[in-house]
Amino acid sequence: MTDTRLIHNVGVGALEWLWAHRDGFELEPDVDPEIGFLERFKPIGELAMICKVLFREGVAGSRQARLARQLLDHAWRETLDGGRMLVRGQLTEPISPIPFEVYLPFKELGYSQPEVERAAALNHRLDSWAAFEATPTRRLGLSAFQRRFGLPPRPPESELRDTTWLARTPEPWTVEGHIAYDVTHNVFHLTDWGEKPDGLPPATADYLATWLPVWIDDWLDLERWDLLGELLVVDACLPRPTLDERAWEGFAAAQQPEGAMPALRTMPEGAPDEVFDIVYHPTLVAAYASVLATSRSLALLAHAS
Amino acid sequence: MEQSGTSSLLQGAVQDLASSVVSALRSGDHARAAAPERAADGEAEGLALAAVRVLGADAMLPSTLLSTPPLPDELAVFRAAVEAYPPGADAAPTVLWSHWAMRHTLWRLDPGHADGPHPEPDAAWLEGAPWQLLTHQLAVLAALAVPGEDCAVARAAQHRPVDVARGFVRAVRRRDWRQAAGAGRWLTLLEGVPQTLGLDNGLDFVELMGGQDPLVALQVSAARLTRTGVFV
Repeated sequence: MTDTRLIHNVGVGALEWLWAHRDGFELEPDVDPEIGFLERFKPIGELAMICKVLFREGVAGSRQARLARQLLDHAWRETLDGGRMLVRGQLTEPISPIPFEVYLPFKELGYSQPEVERAAALNHRLDSWAAFEATPTRRLGLSAFQRRFGLPPRPPESELRDTTWLARTPEPWTVEGHIAYDVTHNVFHLTDWGEKPDGLPPATADYLATWLPVWIDDWLDLERWDLLGELLVVDACLPRPTLDERAWEGFAAAQQPEGAMPALRTMPEGAPDEVFDIVYHPTLVAAYASVLATSRSLALLAHAS
Repeated sequence: MEQSGTSSLLQGAVQDLASSVVSALRSGDHARAAAPERAADGEAEGLALAAVRVLGADAMLPSTLLSTPPLPDELAVFRAAVEAYPPGADAAPTVLWSHWAMRHTLWRLDPGHADGPHPEPDAAWLEGAPWQLLTHQLAVLAALAVPGEDCAVARAAQHRPVDVARGFVRAVRRRDWRQAAGAGRWLTLLEGVPQTLGLDNGLDFVELMGGQDPLVALQVSAARLTRTGVFV
């Protein structure tokens, strides 16, 4: 099993980098409509979700927890202008689920914007929402978010659980990058982002316990750090996480001294905003994997003693 | 240059030999696998022997799996290859084991003219080997994956069906078709292989992707015969 300190330090570095580069999360209100104003919302939602995990698990150090709180405040007050940017996004694309998805973790952390909530409640009543075409995993995620928001999910999660790639436990040698991301997100949705490991049906947990080590081995050797990070999150969501030493050591070694995690092999070169757009996600994932794995590692130590 | 020329000649000879084994396995007809055309000169004969040594016990696979007696000249070439390439004192375990497999095969197919049984080499290097290494080594020693044949390597495989299955997935993901085919052949012999592996389709996939290589086709053919129980 991997040294807990090594796992923990990956997250410490990642959060330092995210705080130092917080301006990279800025929106582009004047963007070309063809690109879409909502394009740049996703990183903010991911940031909020991962900070929420960090508070929930309670294994962050005091500086790390303070940085996470400051990042959230910055994202809400500055980037989202107290939630008004979410309203603007909703007015731009009324039936897009994106403002709702970005809003939910903020709401769960105590931030509030009533207009977004009204739009969410209205959208929830629309048949158009229930019929919204999406991959089975994303559909499951939307229903999970509705439940967490306090609305009865449409369609219910019970109708969606068996429709995903992972639920069918297919031939593990057919997995490639896109399928692997579907698998990781499916696990996030089933476990409420690692909060409820028992949300994984036993057959799914068994399947992952058997084949996840192969996928981790593979994407480690390919140095695809973004996907590897998500797979390490999945490991930490399993009933018996492996906290694979070789994978964590490789992951930690790929992290830059200032905390950024490259997406693929090494750090990209280019203008700071371009570099941010490439590495913010693997760096967020690194923080996420670190906090969940640290939490599981400490839990295992507690059980052992 | 000469060395690489010799090496590519040997590779060609191994491929040809593997192709004739595959033909024999597929047709169910006993072909002269290990003894192709009578070598015209010493150099060609040396090449033929070297090719048999590289393919190892699988050079006699049609006789082993189809339970048909080997032809005398086929057996003679096989015996000559066994004798021509004894493993060195510092040989790797896979070399020791593949030579052991040849001697064992010779003894099994021609007990009147070969001594045996031979003591097994040490298999401790497989104990505790990570699943990646275990599968790689087993694939190199796929000639030992013969129904009903017990040895320490086979027992090491039998104890770790999930790990070998993982190695199969890894090999397919890396497009290492030879390793995948060898691992797949072992898996057809093991109890406890996870159902979700989809081994039958996996073998077909390996053949589709890599089957133009006779060394891949050989392992897949062997796996199929094992799977269908033709050997019984």
